[in-house]
Amino acid sequence: MAENKLRILILDDEPIVCKRLKPSLEKLGFEVDTFTRSFEAMQAVEKARYDIIVTDLKMEGMDGMRFLQEAKKLYPETEVIVITGFATMETAKESFKKGVFDFIAKPFNLNEIQKVVQRAAEKIRSAAQ
Amino acid sequence: MRILFAGDEHPYSAYALKEAAKLAMNTWAEMTLLGIQPGGGANAPVNPALNLALTRYRESFLEAWEGEGSPYALTNWQYDWVPLKEGVLEERLICRSSKKDFKVRLRLGNVAGGILAEAREEGCDLIVLGCSRGGACQWAGTPGVPQKVAADADCSVLLVKEEQPITRILACLDQTHVSQSSLEILNQMVTLHGAQLEVIGLIPEAGLKKEVYTRLIEVGDYYQERNIKVTTRITEIADFESLIARETQQDLLALWMGKKSLLPRFFPRDWVGRFVAKSQTSVMVMR
Repeated sequence: MAENKLRILILDDEPIVCKRLKPSLEKLGFEVDTFTRSFEAMQAVEKARYDIIVTDLKMEGMDGMRFLQEAKKLYPETEVIVITGFATMETAKESFKKGVFDFIAKPFNLNEIQKVVQRAAEKIRSAAQ
Repeated sequence: MRILFAGDEHPYSAYALKEAAKLAMNTWAEMTLLGIQPGGGANAPVNPALNLALTRYRESFLEAWEGEGSPYALTNWQYDWVPLKEGVLEERLICRSSKKDFKVRLRLGNVAGGILAEAREEGCDLIVLGCSRGGACQWAGTPGVPQKVAADADCSVLLVKEEQPITRILACLDQTHVSQSSLEILNQMVTLHGAQLEVIGLIPEAGLKKEVYTRLIEVGDYYQERNIKVTTRITEIADFESLIARETQQDLLALWMGKKSLLPRFFPRDWVGRFVAKSQTSVMVMR
């Protein structure tokens, strides 16, 4: 029987980031939904559980920090990976305080994010066994 | 983000390391500290001065983190098989960093070639290296290394000429292609230094190149939408060299570099090297 695909939500207000990430993670066997607006992503999270969330921090409306907090409240076991173009020591520390799995500054290459997502997936799968 | 710091034993490398460490502290980048020993075979002894410099860079980098919470803290112990000689491996206990990759490497051989190869093989997003001030831009006693790295790297390159605060970033645009990575690396530098951003559109003397002007407006809008204070202006390419000499005081000169750049047409021979040498302060070549 085929293994259940892990579900990933990507939230970044720059469409080009979503466009690059989606196929690279689908290629690894994940089911990927992308959003460029945080309120739409929040609606999706409220409707269904995602195993992994990849979110930008600086966005209009609900920012990534708030989004990850709300998502974690609903599903504490969801692993969150923060990607940011405006990294500071404070945002890195705060992200980890809020329980993120990893913090990645832009620019990044696809290989880097694929590795982090795979590590998060391994953690989820081994917790499920 | 993956940063490659290339250092020799001269003081400018220590300044460049500080800059790389600050950037790493903000971005939690994967990090490699690289030394290059020119010439010599695989069994050549490590140059004591370079060895000492790399040890100091490692210590300074790891000590830059006060208190707990360093993503590079060496806490991850594991046994690994290490090649001893051809056909023989030895199991050794290795300590790795906890959250983010941190390596110190030494390459033997061609200096610029070694830096470029390391960056390419590791998929680096940024190379940081220091160089002496003035026209020669020496690195490890060899002129032209920083210019060659800046001109030939696949990724962005930050050349640190001295230790001084960066209050303004002059980003010079002479082409229509602006990569996402280049915008992102510029974002990180603006955030790190809290610097003002000025984007300068470079145009030929013959008149306005419409595409460059349009791109200039788009880049300006990109930053304004992200609440980054940005000013834009246009200058003629013919005045560019004097602008660099006149205006780069406490600034970072950032050059977008691509195949469609106009600058090589006006300065055909090693234009990157020419501007790198001309600038009194640090230079970033963005790709």
